[in-house]
Amino acid sequence: MSLKVGIDVGGTFTDFLVTGEGAAPRVYKVPTTPADPSIGLIAGLEEIAAGLGMKITELARSIETIVHGTTVTTNAVLTGNGAKTGLLTTQGVRDALEMRRGIREEQYNNRYTNVAPLAPRYLRIPVRGRLNYRGDELTPLNLDDVRSAVRLFKEERVEAAAICFMNSFANAQHEQEAAKIIREQLPDTFLTVSADFLPSIRFYDRVSSTVLNSYVGPKFSSYVDQLRARLREIKFGGVLLIMQSNGGVMSPELARESPARTLLSGPAAGPEAGLGYARMHGHDSCITIDMGGTSFDAALVLNGVPSVVTEGEINRYRVALPMLNIVTIGAGGGSIGWIDEGGLLRMGPQSAGADPGPVCYDKGGSRPTCTDADLVLGYLDPDFFAGGRIKLNRKAAATAIEERIAKHMGLTIDAAAAGMCRVINTNMAQGVREISVKRGYDPRECPLVAAGGAGPLHACMICRELDIPLFIVPHESSIFCAAGMLVSDLRHDFVSSFVAVFDRIDWKELHADVTRMVNEGARLLAQENIPERRRRFSLNLDCRYVKQYHEVSFPVPMETVRDADAHTVAAAFHAEHQRMYGYSLEREGTPIELINVRVRATGLTEKPAHAEEPYSGPDASSTIKGERPIYELEEQASRFVSVYDGHKTRYGHRMAGPAVIEQVNTTLLLTAGYDCICDPYGSFVVYRRGREDCLSAQLREKIT
Amino acid sequence: MSDVDPILVSVFARAFKSLTDEMSISLQKTTRSPILCEAKDFVTGLYDASGNMLEQTENLPILSFSLGPVCKYILDYFGDDLHPGDIIFHNDVFSMGNQNNDVAVYKPIFFEDRLVAWSACKGHQADIGGAVAGGYNPNATEVWQEALRIPPVKVYEKGKLRKDVWDLIFANIRFDMVQHDMRAQIGSCVVGERRMVYLLEKYGRECLEKHKEALFASTRKMMEAEIATIPNGRYRGESTVYYDGKNRDKRYKIRVQVIVEDRRITFDYSDTDPQSGAFVNGTFTSSASAAILTFLQMVNSDIPHNQGMVEPIRIIIPQGTILNAAFPAATTYGNHLCPANADAIARALAPIVPERVTAGWNHLLCSLTTGTDPRRNDKFVDICFMGLKGGSGAVRGVDGYDHIGMIDASGGLLDQDYEMFEQQTPHLLVQHEYLCDSAGPGQWRGGLGVETQLDIGSDDTQVVIFGDGDVEPAFGLFGGGSGSLNSIKLRYPDGKEYVPRCLDLVTGVPKGTRYHQFAGGGGGYGNPHSRSSELVAREVQNGIISRETARSAYGVVLKDGSFEVDQAETARLRKGRTREGS
Repeated sequence: MSLKVGIDVGGTFTDFLVTGEGAAPRVYKVPTTPADPSIGLIAGLEEIAAGLGMKITELARSIETIVHGTTVTTNAVLTGNGAKTGLLTTQGVRDALEMRRGIREEQYNNRYTNVAPLAPRYLRIPVRGRLNYRGDELTPLNLDDVRSAVRLFKEERVEAAAICFMNSFANAQHEQEAAKIIREQLPDTFLTVSADFLPSIRFYDRVSSTVLNSYVGPKFSSYVDQLRARLREIKFGGVLLIMQSNGGVMSPELARESPARTLLSGPAAGPEAGLGYARMHGHDSCITIDMGGTSFDAALVLNGVPSVVTEGEINRYRVALPMLNIVTIGAGGGSIGWIDEGGLLRMGPQSAGADPGPVCYDKGGSRPTCTDADLVLGYLDPDFFAGGRIKLNRKAAATAIEERIAKHMGLTIDAAAAGMCRVINTNMAQGVREISVKRGYDPRECPLVAAGGAGPLHACMICRELDIPLFIVPHESSIFCAAGMLVSDLRHDFVSSFVAVFDRIDWKELHADVTRMVNEGARLLAQENIPERRRRFSLNLDCRYVKQYHEVSFPVPMETVRDADAHTVAAAFHAEHQRMYGYSLEREGTPIELINVRVRATGLTEKPAHAEEPYSGPDASSTIKGERPIYELEEQASRFVSVYDGHKTRYGHRMAGPAVIEQVNTTLLLTAGYDCICDPYGSFVVYRRGREDCLSAQLREKIT
Repeated sequence: MSDVDPILVSVFARAFKSLTDEMSISLQKTTRSPILCEAKDFVTGLYDASGNMLEQTENLPILSFSLGPVCKYILDYFGDDLHPGDIIFHNDVFSMGNQNNDVAVYKPIFFEDRLVAWSACKGHQADIGGAVAGGYNPNATEVWQEALRIPPVKVYEKGKLRKDVWDLIFANIRFDMVQHDMRAQIGSCVVGERRMVYLLEKYGRECLEKHKEALFASTRKMMEAEIATIPNGRYRGESTVYYDGKNRDKRYKIRVQVIVEDRRITFDYSDTDPQSGAFVNGTFTSSASAAILTFLQMVNSDIPHNQGMVEPIRIIIPQGTILNAAFPAATTYGNHLCPANADAIARALAPIVPERVTAGWNHLLCSLTTGTDPRRNDKFVDICFMGLKGGSGAVRGVDGYDHIGMIDASGGLLDQDYEMFEQQTPHLLVQHEYLCDSAGPGQWRGGLGVETQLDIGSDDTQVVIFGDGDVEPAFGLFGGGSGSLNSIKLRYPDGKEYVPRCLDLVTGVPKGTRYHQFAGGGGGYGNPHSRSSELVAREVQNGIISRETARSAYGVVLKDGSFEVDQAETARLRKGRTREGS
């Protein structure tokens, strides 16, 4: 047997998805062990082995691939416990890192402070030596400055170092000279050299990303070493891959070099997973949502490609590495409802988390949460939460909502709970608008894929808010990202700044630049045992009209650069500018300027095949396990609805809203006006009544 | 209003906010002038059929509180001659505009054949005609020397472009870029209209009207509750404007009386000095915006921005004063009177609400260089955003914010990226760093200022300088010290130095000239001797406070050759001096 295992270490739970030839995918969840997440990971594998009646070593030997998403680097940044980091930088600009271009995000809040710099000022050492805007040397590098910095770093026991000089994107020589000294003198110090790590123009972006990489470097290395040691102990001999922020995976050896590429490791698998489900239903675009205990993630996949940003942030630090564009807002099951000074109801962003958790957990929480509201409204079954493992106290929830919300607003408990639900749905709907409407894309045009513990419960209401006619709740919705990891390809992104106005581009030199990046990508993929036939390379250019400030990134065929085909490149740029901003300056003949060249090397992995169930007819009545009253938001009244056992439903079964479909780890709420049909892969497909046209031909045929 | 659904009020509040945010993103991504797309010197807003504010996204607060009053003016001006598809431009400072360069676009939104709302936005345009490119003309004495006046004018009527009007406007403006950016502003209003119509279709006009009133009422209640925490009374404060750009020794006083009376607050500037004969003059809405934004920093920053928020605030500025100059005065500098205005308010309220008022913020001193880039023989324009941003004043419990810039932007204005700067101008960046000892000392220190040095890379460069903060530093509060001063200096290749005045036009600056600017720090709050000595030692180690200042201002002595506090010597110096000042 050869198994593939996706493992997503989250804040509260570590999720597992195990797939193997011929067998149905299995889902597991164990508590995360924050101090050393590899302990929980191994514990989970032990639980899986026990479930399969195997010894842990037996299981480990049968695993071909583990794909792993980790929050080690994310947590190091969020909690500020990364490495003690020193920076060598050009004399005169040592504070760029801390200044963050002088922004204060909350303009009216005089108590809002700057974030602490990841390298303190006394460890940001100015070095003499200067290159101009083209990379020509104005002043040679002062090696004495470098050596005295090394002495200070030694005295201060610096754990990680970073080098970032002005204009090094155009000429790496000074940085390399300095790096040589550091490597000789401080061989055990984690080092990031900006010209190797991110050779692109924009000093603040580069220095911030470079320092971040060093800051999380030692923590990540020791975690990976720990994990590999533990896996060796249980005799795992397969391939371990690490999930990156760009939605691809890479080997742990490469991840050790650029750990900042894993800052979004966890949620990054979501969009790719969502695309997989959307494709099963004939769509090449989708919106994914993932609602957990404290946060709500939304992302857009357009024409088969998850949308990517290169100006992301983590904890207000700039990360200029390609990351999936995932918007996170503070809305989850644990989001607390409260009344502001003006008497308006608000939800979140404060969360009761898992401890004390919602009031209904009876673990000491006293402030009503979204989960409490969902319980009071009948959407959750107090005796079947987490399959009955957690008993929910409906009375306590109702009392808290009455005391804290209903009384102050002159509402009944039901109306107040419904209000909490509507407010949080509005917040989440804004999150979806953020990644769709605000980028010029209409969310009604593609299906939504709902995941996370609380996602399927709120999906219908979010879709109603946004007028989205179709959504899918995947079979693996509760461990969505772990599932996504198993369908991710190996992916390496490269960037090089090549600043030139179009009519003055030296195409030979540009082609050499591209070839260099392609070769580097090929080398890394070879290192990861990806044969040539499974390697793919793509090219993006970042361009703008001369004197614009924001670039537009667009794909072009590799041959255009080789053939110096300026015409095709320009046409692609005008078209993309037109699409994004509603106009182009093609007719005006405004010159175009090239800024960055980006190469992506992809190593295609083998995807687990989805087994199809046989058609079981439309009648789902045998799966009804009872009925209970739920509060219908639109009707503002309760009514009895059927409760279906989501583990017994089969391909073809149809359920009409309002209804509830329960599984151990998640509850799907169908509101009035939405119907559901089960697809052949164990997923639920929900559509607005009257919009059957959105379904795939296969499902549409079953309905008509 | 018995049938108001309190939940729906929250829903609308959130939806309006998201709508104006969307307008803002659209505008930022499509404009070309760095003042708009990099520095975000614009605001977007949504108003009801009577011109009451529903929500705004205030990237640069000083522009913000003019859009509502102008909307009302436009309603009055056009009466019933408003139609679906109309688009109206406005910049006139004598009909509620705040600054000539800040040009507004208004789009009336119709639903079921009725005017139901307005989407609008206003941005600082790179040029607006007048005698000097970019608009800052220190020699102007009347508005026509500064700008093209646009009292409201329809550029589209019933969906049709009025080509003749459009051409008339842009025939009077230097840069082609301005046309593109005004188109982007129209686009932003269309985005707002689309979303508003979607809301109306979903909820109906009457439902929206009813809940809008409830939203105003709830917001008003929040603002009134904030005002109620200030004791009733009349509080006076003043500040000085040191130079009007023309008359060397003439000074002007801004005098404010803040009157708090039963959940209403009034800013009365009746005793402020008369207007100047130069371009250092405020307009009513620029001065009112300055008062509002300063006050908003003293209250809960969570209050929604709508009509309910501004209703309890009253502003009285007699015409003919330096904060509300009478027609046809020159007023382009008016937005930059905000820092002095804010100082007067802070001084008035500091004794009354000491826990909410900040010490003085660094004032703006700014330069705009234009010339020809010899590398490609092409014109360039640059506002040195990175150089102009000093520190904010400290507040009880929190240090000032380092390198944030003037209070009228409050951290919304971004530095250029250094490498992009060297691509787009011929200059070489020599230094841009925190300025040691610039922060006003205090138990909570002021924000740090910065030192900037550039080597000018073009011959015959023109440098326009405007601002102040070169005479009086940002003040400290309750025993805190003042920040450092602003200054700009030019050192020519032949070694000669020139120190321009704070309002100056320097021409013919040769290549190789060193531009050297100091942006000062903010004022400190509370007795510096009460600041943690360990914190002071760490700041000495970080090179933002010198050993001398640690000793003289903070009473903290470090051991020789180390950054360890000399406890005995520090205790001796601090003895009897650590009580919080009054």
